[in-house]
Amino acid sequence: MAVLVMKRINIYALKSNRKKILEALQLKGAVQLKSEQLDMKNFAKTDTSSAMATFEKNAQVNQSAVDELDKLVEPPKVFLSMFAGKEPVSAEGYNRVAEKAADVTQSAYKLTAAAKRITDNEADITRLETQIAALEPWAALDVPMRMLATKSTSIYIGSFPEELTESDTKQRLAEAFPEGDAIDVEVISAMKMQTNVFIVASAKYGPKLEAALRSLGFAYPPSPPKIPPKEQIKTLEGRIDELKAEIASSEKEIKSYSAMRADFLLTHDYFLTRAEKYNALGELWQSRHVFVISGYIPEIDSENVRKVLEAEFEAFVELEDVAENEDAPVKLKNGGFSAPVESVVEAYSLPGKGEIDPSKVMSIFYYVLFGIMLADAAYGLLMTVACAVLLKIFPHMSSNMRRAVRMFRNCGISTIFWGAMFGSYFGDAIPIVAETFFNTQLSIPPLWFNPLDRPMQLLVFSLLVGIIHIFTGLTMKLYTLVKQKQYKDILYDVIFWYMLVGGLIVAFISTSMFTSMTQITISLPPIVTTICLAAAGVGAVGIIATAGRESRNPGKRILKGLYGLYNLSGYLSDILSYSRLLALGLAASVISSVFNQMGAMFGGGVVGAIAFAIVFLIGHTLNIAINILGSYVHTNRLQFVEFFGKFYEGGGNKFEPFSEKTKYYNFTEEK
Amino acid sequence: MEFDLSTLGIVFALLGAVSAALMAGIGSAIGVGLAGQAAAGVVTEDPGLFGKSLILQLLPGTQGIYGLLIGFITLTQIGILGGDPNISFQKGLLYFVACLPMAFVGLTSARWQARASVASLGLLAKKPDQFGKAMIFPAMVETYAVLALLISILSIFSIGGLDI
Repeated sequence: MAVLVMKRINIYALKSNRKKILEALQLKGAVQLKSEQLDMKNFAKTDTSSAMATFEKNAQVNQSAVDELDKLVEPPKVFLSMFAGKEPVSAEGYNRVAEKAADVTQSAYKLTAAAKRITDNEADITRLETQIAALEPWAALDVPMRMLATKSTSIYIGSFPEELTESDTKQRLAEAFPEGDAIDVEVISAMKMQTNVFIVASAKYGPKLEAALRSLGFAYPPSPPKIPPKEQIKTLEGRIDELKAEIASSEKEIKSYSAMRADFLLTHDYFLTRAEKYNALGELWQSRHVFVISGYIPEIDSENVRKVLEAEFEAFVELEDVAENEDAPVKLKNGGFSAPVESVVEAYSLPGKGEIDPSKVMSIFYYVLFGIMLADAAYGLLMTVACAVLLKIFPHMSSNMRRAVRMFRNCGISTIFWGAMFGSYFGDAIPIVAETFFNTQLSIPPLWFNPLDRPMQLLVFSLLVGIIHIFTGLTMKLYTLVKQKQYKDILYDVIFWYMLVGGLIVAFISTSMFTSMTQITISLPPIVTTICLAAAGVGAVGIIATAGRESRNPGKRILKGLYGLYNLSGYLSDILSYSRLLALGLAASVISSVFNQMGAMFGGGVVGAIAFAIVFLIGHTLNIAINILGSYVHTNRLQFVEFFGKFYEGGGNKFEPFSEKTKYYNFTEEK
Repeated sequence: MEFDLSTLGIVFALLGAVSAALMAGIGSAIGVGLAGQAAAGVVTEDPGLFGKSLILQLLPGTQGIYGLLIGFITLTQIGILGGDPNISFQKGLLYFVACLPMAFVGLTSARWQARASVASLGLLAKKPDQFGKAMIFPAMVETYAVLALLISILSIFSIGGLDI
C-alpha cells in the first residue's frame, strides 16, 4: 500500500541549457510541472501559444494524411490491435524523424490537398448530375431552350405541372385562349406532375397568350442553357468525365504516398511531443540568462533526476517537502500482485490527502471475490491462458491495458482455484460427456463441496467472506486513523462497531434460528454468548453516546447517536449483499449445465458429438462472456460500496508528469 | 373424466418456471433495447467507446439470464426435463410461488436498470474516463435482481425435500 511520497522540485538553470533540460525531463516523465507565481523582477513567462498551435496543426495534417490514405489503401491490420500498444522508437530513430519532419509534413500537405480536390470534385459531379437530371426531359428538343421568338412568332418553352398529352394540352389552351388559331403545341416529354412543351404561336397574340398559358400553370424552366439541351447534357457529361479523371489521378497521387504511412504517424507523434514541450516552455519563469521550473516529483525518482540535471546540465536542483496544506498529486506504487487493481482504485478515486492506498488489501479480496463468483476451473484456465498469451505476444501493450490484462489473469487463477473447490469444469461437462458418449460414470469430485447440492453452505460461506471483508474495511479505517493520529476516533468509529457487529454475529450463530436455517450447529458455552451480548451492548451505548459528538446540544447529541446506531441496518444489508457470491456462482454453473444438457439431448454417436460440440462452443462462449462481465461488475461493486464505504473517500488528483503524450509510438532513451 | 385437483400440480409448477423466464426475459429485452439505443448514440460520437458502451448496454441483460436459470432449475426439479413429473398440488403451487420473486423483480429491475444504464451512457459520452463510476449506478439496481434470484433458487431447491 503505497502512495508515493511527493517532493516539490525547483530547478534553476542557464537558459542555454533550456532545451536539453526540457527534453531530458520529458523523456524521463518524472516531473509534473506546476509553476508558482514568481514575484521577482526580470522574470517573466514566454508566450508559446503560437508555436504550439503550429506544431499541433502539423500533427493534425499528418493525422489527416493517414486518415485519407487509409480510405484508399487498406491499412495493415494488426490482430487484436487494441492490445498492441505503442511501438518503441530509439533516440536515434527519433533524430531521424526530427530531420525528416519538415519533408514528411510537406508530403502530408500535398496528400491532404489531393484529398480535398477529390471531395471538391465529387461535390461538383453531384451538382452536374443534378443539372443533367433536370435537362433530361428536354433532351428531345433540338433548339436552345432560350429561343424566345422570331420576327412573326412567339415561342414558349416551359412546363405544365401535370401529366398531359398533346391533345389535352391543345384542348385546354383552346378553352383558355379561344381566339388562338395559329398556335402549335409540341409535347417534348410528359411525366407525372410535369409536361414539357414547345409552343409556337403567332406574335400577334403577345402577352395575352402568355397570360392564358400562366393561368394553366405554365412555367419557364429555371436557368435554361444557351445551347440545345442535348448538347448541354453532352458538355456536362464531358465535364464529369474530366472531373472523374482528376479524381483518379488524385487518388493515384494519394496512393503513391502509401509507403510513407509510418512516417506520417511518426511525424504526427513528433509534433505532438514538441507541442507538449512548448507548453512546458510557456510555464517557465525566465530572465535574460536563467530560468526556473518547479513541480512535483516522486521522492524515489528525485535523487536520480537531481544527479542527472546537476551533472549533465549545470543546473541547481532544490528538493523540498510538500507543504502541509498543499494538495500534491497522487501516484500509487504496488508490487506485481496488487498493481493490476490500481486501475480499479483509480476508477473509484485516488486516495485523498492523508488516506492510505487500498490497493494491496483490496487486491486479495478482488481476486477471491471474482473467483467465487465465476467459480469454474475451465473458465479460469481459459482466462489465465488467454491473458498470459496476450501479455506474451504484445510486449508494448499500454500500461493501463497491461494492468487490466494482468488483473484478469490473476482473477483467472483464482477462478481455477474456486472452480476446483466447487468441482466445476465447464459446469458438469465431464460427467455429461462421459455418460452420453462413453456410457461411463466419470466426474472430478469437488475439493470442498458442490454448491448445487448444498447451497445453504455456500450462502453461509459467502456471508462469512462478507463479514471478513467488511471487518477488514473497518481495520483499514483504524489504520488510517492511527496514521492521522486521531486516537479517540478509533474508539468511537471502529472499536465500538467491532464490539456491536462482532458481538451480535457471534451471539446470532449460537441461536437455534441459525441452526435451523443452515443445518450447522455451533454450540458455544453460554458464557461466551453472554460476553458477546454484553460487548454488543457496550458498543451500542458507546455509539449512541459518541456518534453525535459534533453537536454541543446534549439532546441533539443523543438523537444523532441513535441515528448513528441505526447504521447497524447498513451493516446487516452490507453483509447480506455478499449473498450475490452464491447467486452469481450458481448462475454460472447452472447455465453451463443447461448448455451441457442441451448439447447432450442429441444423444451419442458422431452426429450427437458434432451437435454437442456446436452447442458447447456457442453456449460456453456466451456464458463465459456474460459471467466474466457479471463477476467484474459485482466484484467492483462489493469493493466500492461495501468495502470502501467503511474507510475510503478518495478525491486525490492523479500525478500527470510532463512527458511525451504520443499516440502511436513511444520515444525512448535507448540509443 | 372427473376433475382431480391434484393433477394440477405440474401445471402450476410449469406456470412458475415459464413466468420466471418470460417476465425476466421481457424485462431484459426492453432494458437491453433501451440501453442499446443510447449506446448507438454514444458510438456515433466516438466509435472508440464501443466496448465500454456495450458493457453498459448488457448490464440490464442479466435478468433474462437469471429468469432462464430459475425456469431451467424448476423444469429439472419438477421432472419435465426427464424424471418423474408427478408432483402434488401443494408442491406445484409452491414452485409457482417460488418463481414469482424472479419473475416480478426481474421484469421491473431490468427496466429501471436500463434507465440507469442510459444515464450512465450519457455520463460515458461526456467523460469517457469515468467508466468505472458509470458502471456502478446500473449495477446498484441489479442487486435486487440478484436478491430475488437468491430467494427463488433457495426456495426451489428446498421444496423438493418437503414431504407434502
